[in-house]
Order: sequence, then structure tokens, then C-alpha cells
Amino acid sequence: MTSPSLPGEPAHLTVERPGLGRYRTLVTIPLLLMAGAVLVSLAANAYWISTLTSAAALALAAAGVALLYGQLGLVSLCQFSLIGVGGWVTLRTGFAFGWPFELSLLSGGIAASLVGVLCGLPALRLKGLYLALVTLMLAGGFQVIINAFGFPDGGSGFFGRADASQRLMLPRPLLATGNEAYFLYAVGVLALGLMLIELHRRTKPGRSWAMIRAGETTALSAGVNLLLYKAWAFALAGFLAGLAGGVLAAGVGQLDGRAFSAAESLNLFALTVVGGAYNWFGAVIAGLLLRAVPSLLTDHGVDGYLAMVIFGAALLHALVTAPTGIAGQIAGLGQWLTGLIASESTPSPAQQEAPASDKLAAETGERRP
Amino acid sequence: MIRIENLTVQFGAVRPLDGLSAELTQPIIGLVGPNGAGKTTLLNVFSGFITPVTGSIELDGRDLLPLSPTRRVQAGLRRTFQTEQVADDLSAWDNVLALADHIGLKGATIGDDVERALAFTGLGPRAQVMGAALNLYERRMVEIARALVGGPRLILMDEPGAGLDEAEALRLRQCILGIPKAFGATVLLIDHDVDLISATCGETLVLDFGKRLALGPTRSVLDDPVVHRAYLGAA
Repeated sequence: MTSPSLPGEPAHLTVERPGLGRYRTLVTIPLLLMAGAVLVSLAANAYWISTLTSAAALALAAAGVALLYGQLGLVSLCQFSLIGVGGWVTLRTGFAFGWPFELSLLSGGIAASLVGVLCGLPALRLKGLYLALVTLMLAGGFQVIINAFGFPDGGSGFFGRADASQRLMLPRPLLATGNEAYFLYAVGVLALGLMLIELHRRTKPGRSWAMIRAGETTALSAGVNLLLYKAWAFALAGFLAGLAGGVLAAGVGQLDGRAFSAAESLNLFALTVVGGAYNWFGAVIAGLLLRAVPSLLTDHGVDGYLAMVIFGAALLHALVTAPTGIAGQIAGLGQWLTGLIASESTPSPAQQEAPASDKLAAETGERRP
Repeated sequence: MIRIENLTVQFGAVRPLDGLSAELTQPIIGLVGPNGAGKTTLLNVFSGFITPVTGSIELDGRDLLPLSPTRRVQAGLRRTFQTEQVADDLSAWDNVLALADHIGLKGATIGDDVERALAFTGLGPRAQVMGAALNLYERRMVEIARALVGGPRLILMDEPGAGLDEAEALRLRQCILGIPKAFGATVLLIDHDVDLISATCGETLVLDFGKRLALGPTRSVLDDPVVHRAYLGAA
């Protein structure tokens, strides 16, 4: 390992500044996601296009859960309710004002963001199990409210409820009225959401979150405003959940209140942990687990609810042996292979000191909870 | 200059600090005492993590106690911890930048300040290495570099030498000695390494049971028989 130089030695005067390489995921994310989406849209049938559109929307919400858990260690169990809030506002503004879909979607995201901050207020005092319980109760409260009032369906009044015969469907964006086009649109929104998180992680908010995660006294000693940066994280996670709700609403044209139970928030959190909360593609894996795995089982004549048993086992496995989730394991494998190739071509003394995987993981920033 | 006036901290029936008063004027000040003497408690009062029941602390004439912990950082107060606090998934550069973000530095000044702090601590070539890949000495230096950005006025160091080998402790000593001249900051140093305290500190405050046992030039304080009995264990 290179020893740091002493003050006064020539080497200490050279400080390696960060390069633009730290932002490469901002390019990788849209390229990989859109390339994958185009391939899927060419090969998949209508059933799978619909399933994967939902998976893309839920991946957005999972990215918010991963942000809170991976960046701040906070367990919020009301994120699925925030999807409902975003969906509700997107439907309501879409029907009431006839706005372009993007504007309605944005309004849903902002509304869920505000509610997300309110839900996050307990986080300023609570952590761990207590925060999880409070947010789970909030999710239960949302379930009661949405069961009582339902989602807007083109009617008048504040709640926008219509008679069954007059129910309207929210129009899709003009850019993407067909199923395949809307799937690509949903993946595009997902890519933008993931890029937004990555941008945060690599700038001032991300550094502030890292300090909070290192310890609240550490963060305070670095001048970090705990209230502001925790609220910021909840706002961003809520915003992404709200966008997910809007994308789901336009995908089907309507939303069903029964789909927003508190149990769904638990599923979302569990599968985000299984997918991996520390890598951007963990949220994509979580979205696929939430929607594609049950559909796959159904497609093969197996009851989709069996997925819950599989997810339970997967969560146990993740918590015990793979805290970085499936995405962390994939990233670790990639780093190991890269290290293997690099060490065969140019062995260096530094690489001989520690196992290649350990060194690479640490130097490239893979988190070890 | 640091002026501590009648500082008392009380947890139930226990008083970790009991009517402590001191005026500290040297650029590097030692703070020693047996375990439980109240050293870390005093640093926590400086940082704003503990509110005293009575007393005041002035730094260059400014009362610190009414300020929130983050305001104290903006006022030039810095801190390193007994167990080094470095974010594993941030590079050394970003760990230092994480403080520079919050003290009102603008644009290019931030990068220059971070660069200067990392260069001073000898971490230049390791600036882009993640916290998790740094060894203990380097992590200690990252904490010190973080304390050096943005015009620090007082740096509180809580046992920075803990766990370092002889060569690393020597490097640390050189680093601490250079801080007042290079950055214009006062250093308040807690350490059990009497050699480090002797070699770096112009004056030393000795605490025992939350009270001031001795204060004065380091050599004479460490030679004081009362201090020997209470702290160094001499007969």
C-alpha cells in the first residue's frame, strides 16, 4: 500500500483531484436501461409489456426506498402509500385540468414529495424499529383513507369520483399512447429518476448523507444540518414514489384502492433489500421481483402468491449472507472479474497486500454494511 | 484564546465537569487526566453535544454556548474523534469536502482548500481512495484534513494517536506541530501519550473528577507531584 508522504516531501504537494469519471453512471444508466427496454419491447408480448411497465414504475419507488435505507439507514414502510398519493394527484389533476400528462405526473411527484417529508418528520427523532413502526402505521392510515374515498375517476368535487357508468380513463402521454411506446416512456422516467439519485449521491447531498450515516455527531461536527438533509432524502424518495404512482395510473388509466395496502409497503421494502439498496440497478431488480416474478409463476400455471414464500426466503438469505443484495453480488462479481483481468496484465505490489476483491470493492466505493 | 468559566455538567447525581475555569492561550494545548476525568465531556460541551448547567466558553472573545453545533463549525470549531469517523464510501477528498460544503466556501476556493488540507496531511496521492480502503493512520489524517478546511480557529483532537505505531505517531506529531503556523488555528489535544503531549503542547490542563487539577507550561505541569499522583500513578 502506498504510504502517505510527510509534510515537506515532494509527493505530498501532488493531490489527485476528482475527475469526471465519478459521473459515468449518469451516462451508463440511461444507455443500459433504454437499450434493454428497446430489446424487450421488440420481443415481449402485450402481457409482458404491461407487466414490465408496472415493474419499471415500481422500480422508481424502490429507488426511493433504497435511497433512504442505503444512504441514511432509515426504514420507511409507507413508500407504497406515497405511490398511491402520487397516483391520486396525477389522476385528479389530469381529469380536472386536462394538463399534459407530464405536468400531471410532476404534480403527483411533488404532492407525494410533500407527504413524504411529513411522513419523514418522525425520522428526526426516531430510528430503526420505531421509525419503521410509525411509517407502517401511516401506511395503514392511507389504506383506510383510500378505501373510504377511492381514486379519482373523472367525477366532480374534491375527490373526483364518478358513477360507475361515467368512469374515465386517464389519457397516456401524447408521445406514448401505444403499449410498447408507453413501456419505453416508463423506462425513460425510471432512468431519469435513477439519474437524479445518482446525481445527488455524487454531490453535496450525497456527501452529507454519508456523514449522517457515519454518525450523527460526525455529521454535526462537519456542519451538516441533520433536519434539512434527512427531510431532503424523504422528499426525494417521496417524489420518486409519486412519479411511480403517476406512471402506474396512466399505464392502466385508473388505479384500484385495494392495490395500496400497508402490506405492499412491506413487500416493497423487503424486495428493495433483496434487490440491493447500495447499487442503482438494485431498484430495477426489486421492480422486476415485485411484478415479473409473480407474473412468471402465473404464466407457468403456478399461483403467483407462491412468490411471497420465495421472497421471504430471499429476504432471509439477503439479511444473513448478502446485505448488499443481488445487485451487490453482481457488482462484486464484476469487480472480481475486472480485478482478475487487471492483476493478470499488470500485477502491482499494492494488489498483493490484500485480496483483490476486498481492495477493489473498497477503492471503487462498494458499500459494506 | 479560550476562556472557560465555571463550567458544570451534571447527569443526575454525577458531575463530569464541576465548576471548571481556565484560560488557555497557547497555540497547542494539552488536555490530560485519568479515565473519567471529564476530558471528552469537555470536548462534547465545546462541540455542542452536551449542554452545561452553568458556565461559559469563549473562543477569541465569542461565546460558543449559544451557538448550535453547526454554527460552531461555521465559527471555526473543528473536531476529530477518539474512534476515527470517516465515511467508508466517500473518497478521502469527498470526506474532506463534506465539511467544506457547509461553511460557506464558494466555487474554486473549495477545491483549493481541500487540496491544501490533503497536501498538508500528506494524503495527496491517496485523495481519491475510498475511506474503506484507508488504513488507520490515513483515516486519522483524513479527519485532521477535514478539520483544516475553511479557516479553522480551534481544532479539538480526541486521542488522535490511539492505535498508531511509533513511526505513524511521529508523523502525527509533525502534523500537529505544523497546524498553528500553517492554518492559524489553536489545537486542543487530548491524548494519553505523554511524549506526544510533551513534544507538542505549550501548556497543559489536567483534569481530575471534572475539576481542574493543574494548568500551566506542559513540562512543569507534568513534573508536578500532584499530577504524578493523580494521573501518572507515581507514589
